[in-house]
Amino acid sequence: MAGESRKRKQHTDEPSPGDDDERRGRRDKRPKEAAKPAPPLPSEIKNKEKRSEVYAKLKREKKAQKRKLGRERGQAAQRAAELGEEVPERQVPRTIENTREPDETVCRPDDQELFAGNDADEFNAVLKQQVTPKVLITTCRFNSGRGPAFIKELMEVIPDAQYVNRGTYDLKKIVEYANNRDFTSVMVVHTNRREPDALLIINLPDGPTAHFKLSKLILRKDIKNHGNPTSHKPELVLNNFTTRLGHRVGRMIQSLFPQDPNFRGRRVVTFHNQRDYIFFRHHRYVFEEKEIKVVSKDKKAKSSESKKQTEKQVTCRLQECGPRFTLKLITLQHGTFDTKSGEYEWVHKPDMDTSRRRFFL
Amino acid sequence: MPRLTSVESPGCPPLRAITTDVLGLVKVVEARARPAGVAKVVETWGEPDASRSILVASLADRAVDPVLAVARKNGVVELLNPLNGDALAAVKSSWPEQTDGAAGDDPLVALHLFKKQAPDSSTLGTFLACTDKGKACVRSVAKENTASDLDVGPSSTWDVCNAGKLQFSSVDAGENYAMFGGKGIEVNLWDITSCSKIWSAKCPRANSLGIFTRPWFTAGTFLCKDDHRKIVACTNNHQVRLYDTASQRRPVISVDFRESPIKAVVEDPDGHTIYIGTGTGDLASFDMRTGKLLGCYVGKCCGSIRSIVKHPELPLIASCGLDSYLRIWDTNTRQPLSAVYLKQHLTTVVIDSHFSAEESEETKSKLPESSMVAEATVRREKKKKNQLVEEDEEGSRMVKPDDNDAETVTRKEKKKKKNRMVADDEEGTRMVDPDDSDAKTVRKENKKKKSRMVSEDEEGTQMADPDDSYAEMYAPKRIKSGERSKGTKKKSKKQQVA
Repeated sequence: MAGESRKRKQHTDEPSPGDDDERRGRRDKRPKEAAKPAPPLPSEIKNKEKRSEVYAKLKREKKAQKRKLGRERGQAAQRAAELGEEVPERQVPRTIENTREPDETVCRPDDQELFAGNDADEFNAVLKQQVTPKVLITTCRFNSGRGPAFIKELMEVIPDAQYVNRGTYDLKKIVEYANNRDFTSVMVVHTNRREPDALLIINLPDGPTAHFKLSKLILRKDIKNHGNPTSHKPELVLNNFTTRLGHRVGRMIQSLFPQDPNFRGRRVVTFHNQRDYIFFRHHRYVFEEKEIKVVSKDKKAKSSESKKQTEKQVTCRLQECGPRFTLKLITLQHGTFDTKSGEYEWVHKPDMDTSRRRFFL
Repeated sequence: MPRLTSVESPGCPPLRAITTDVLGLVKVVEARARPAGVAKVVETWGEPDASRSILVASLADRAVDPVLAVARKNGVVELLNPLNGDALAAVKSSWPEQTDGAAGDDPLVALHLFKKQAPDSSTLGTFLACTDKGKACVRSVAKENTASDLDVGPSSTWDVCNAGKLQFSSVDAGENYAMFGGKGIEVNLWDITSCSKIWSAKCPRANSLGIFTRPWFTAGTFLCKDDHRKIVACTNNHQVRLYDTASQRRPVISVDFRESPIKAVVEDPDGHTIYIGTGTGDLASFDMRTGKLLGCYVGKCCGSIRSIVKHPELPLIASCGLDSYLRIWDTNTRQPLSAVYLKQHLTTVVIDSHFSAEESEETKSKLPESSMVAEATVRREKKKKNQLVEEDEEGSRMVKPDDNDAETVTRKEKKKKKNRMVADDEEGTRMVDPDDSDAKTVRKENKKKKSRMVSEDEEGTQMADPDDSYAEMYAPKRIKSGERSKGTKKKSKKQQVA
C-alpha cells in the first residue's frame, strides 16, 4: 500500500513544466506580497454566491488538471510503445474489494480437504446430475402486492419450479410435504407491507437453510427494453464466491438449477457477489454478424466494388429480462428450517463488523 | 465508537488440543512457547471420508499411555494413540441383537473413555457408549485384539429409556455414575457398576399460564469433582438448570440464557463455574452457586458451538463448532487468545494437559531448560544491578556536598533515567505474570509504582520473582525483558568506570 501511495505521489509530483513554473512564481510572489493576505478558502467566504463561484472555479481547475495528467500519461505510454520501450504500468485504482482484509477461509484450488468436503456435502447429488433439481416455491402467510408477480417471474427463471399455496401450514409441515414428494429445495418468499423483503432457501432432505434479505427488487415490466425469457434451461454464472461460506452458498444456489443448460436458448442467470451482496440478473444474449462498411480513400475503388468493401464482424448484444434483485445472507442454518432448536453454521453478529474491508462470502 | 480492525491476541501458553470433524479427520493443534502463543495445526490423521465422520471423541488424559477414543458414523469405535495417531484397536459398537445396517439409524451420541485403568493393565481402555435410542453399554478392549473385534472384553448393556432421543451423557470425576438426558428424556442418574438407575428428575411445574414444556435436554455435566450429587443440565429452551439429587427432583436453580438452544456445557474444576455454548455461537460462563451470569465471551464466533473443554490446570477453555474454528479463550479476562481455522465442521475438541511435560521429553528438554537457566541468570543480574544502582546513588549523594559540579548533577539525572528503565523492566515482568486474578488491578499498581521512589523497586523484584507455575510458559517474553536489563547493566558499569 505504501508503495502505491508513493507511486501516486510521484506521478502527481511530476506535472508539466508550465505548472512547475506557476508554482515557482507563486512561491516567489508570496514573500514579496507578505502584507497581502492569502486568498481565503471557499469555506471561509460568507457570501454564498461568491463562495459557490470560487468553489466551482477550483473544481474546474482540478478537473482540468486531472484530465491533463491523464492525457500526458496516455501519450507517454503511446510514445513508449512506439519507441519499443517498456510501457509504464497502468495504475490500478484502489477499491474496497481489492484491499480486502486477508482471510484464511478463502478457498484454495490445491486444498484436498475442500474437494473431499464438496463430495460429501448435501448438494453433491444434484450437482453430479444424479438427481434433477425440483423446487417448491411458496410464500409467507399473507402474500400480496408485488409478491405474486415476483413469484411468477421467479418460476420462469428456475425451471422445474412449482408453486404451492402456503395456506396456514407451518413451514415445517411444508418441508415435510416437499420431502415426501422428492423436492430438492424449498424457496419461501417473505413479504412485508406488500413488498418482498426476504428469501429463504431450504435444501432438502436435510441440507442447510439460508436466509437472505431481499432488496432492490425490480420486476420485468419496470425494466426498460426488457426481453421475454424462453423456456430453455438457463446457463448459470456465479461470481466471486471465494470463502468456504461463499462456496457453500454458491453451491446451494447452483443446486436450484439444472446442471445441463440449453446453450441454444441463450439465457443467462447471474449471481454476482460483491462485498457480500449477491446481485441477481437475468439476461438473453445474441451474437450478430454485422456488416460494417470500410471507408476507403480511393474513390474509384469505392464506386466500382462497393460490395467487397463491407466487412463482417460479430458483435454480442445483451437484453435483460428481469427480475432484478439483491440478496444479502443473514443466516445459514444447519439442517432444515427450525427456529426453536436450530443450530447455525453462520450468523451475522455485530461484533464481526470490525472493518469495511472484511467480507464473509 | 472506533472499531479496531484486529484485536491483538495475547497468545496462548503451550497447549495441545485435538479436534475431530465431520470428514473423519483428527487434527492436532499445538501452541508452543517458541513462536510465542501462536496455535497452529501440526498434524492431521486419517483420510477425508464422509462415511467415517467422527461423531464424538473422548480422551483418557493420563501422563502414561493416554488413549483417544473416537466414535465414527459407521458404528465403529476406534482407539487411537493421541501422541502419534496410531490406531490401537477398532471395535464395532453394534449390539449383538442388531444387524450391521442398524448402526446407520441408531448412531452413537455419547462416548466416555474411563481414565482409571484396570489393575492388570491387560486392557487398552474401557469406554461407555450410548446411542440415539437410549442403549448404553460399557466395554473394555483388550490389548491383543487389534484386528478382530470378536474377543471384546466384558461388557454390560442396559436401556436408559424406552422412548425419546438420547442427546448427551456425562460421567462424574470418580467414574462411578453416569447421567443421561435427551429429547423427551428427563435427566437421570445411573450407577455404572451395578447398572441401575438411582435418580431421575421431575419436570418443573407449569408456569402461570399453565403451559408445560416437554423435557428436552441437550447438554449436562456434574458440577463438582468430588460430589456426584450436583448436576447441571441445559435444555433446548435455553435454560440452565441445577439439580441437587440429594435434596429434590425438581431443579434448584433454573436460569434463562438468550434465545437459542444450549449445545455444550462444561464445568470448571473450582466447583461452581460452568461454561455454556449455544446454537448461535454464544459462549458464556455462569456461577451456579447463585445462578448469575459471569460474562460472555465475545470474539467473532459465528457458528453453533458443539464442544467446549476446560484445561485442567491453566485458566483456559477451548471451544469448537460449526464455524470450523478452534478458539482458545482466557477464562479470567474472557478474551480470545487464539483462533485456528480447521476447514471442516468440528465435532469435538479435547485438550491433552500433559503436553508441556511431553514436549520436554521429546525435545530432550533443551529449549525450556535453557530458557529457565537464562531466566535465573537474568534475575540474578537484575538483583546485582539494583544493588549497584543503590550504591551509586549513595555515592553521588556523598560526592555532592564536596564539589558542586554541573557534571555530578547531570550524572545523577542520568541515573534517575536509568533507574526508571529498571522500573519499566520490572513492570514488564509483572505484566507477563498471568497468575493475577485481574490484569487491570496489576496495571494500576504498576502505574503507582512508576511514581514511587527507586528504592522501592527492590520490592518490585521480590514481588515478581517468586517462581510461580506459569513462569515457564512466558519464558520468551521474560528473556526479552532480561535482554533489556542487560543493556541497562552495561550502562551502569560504564558509569561506574566514569
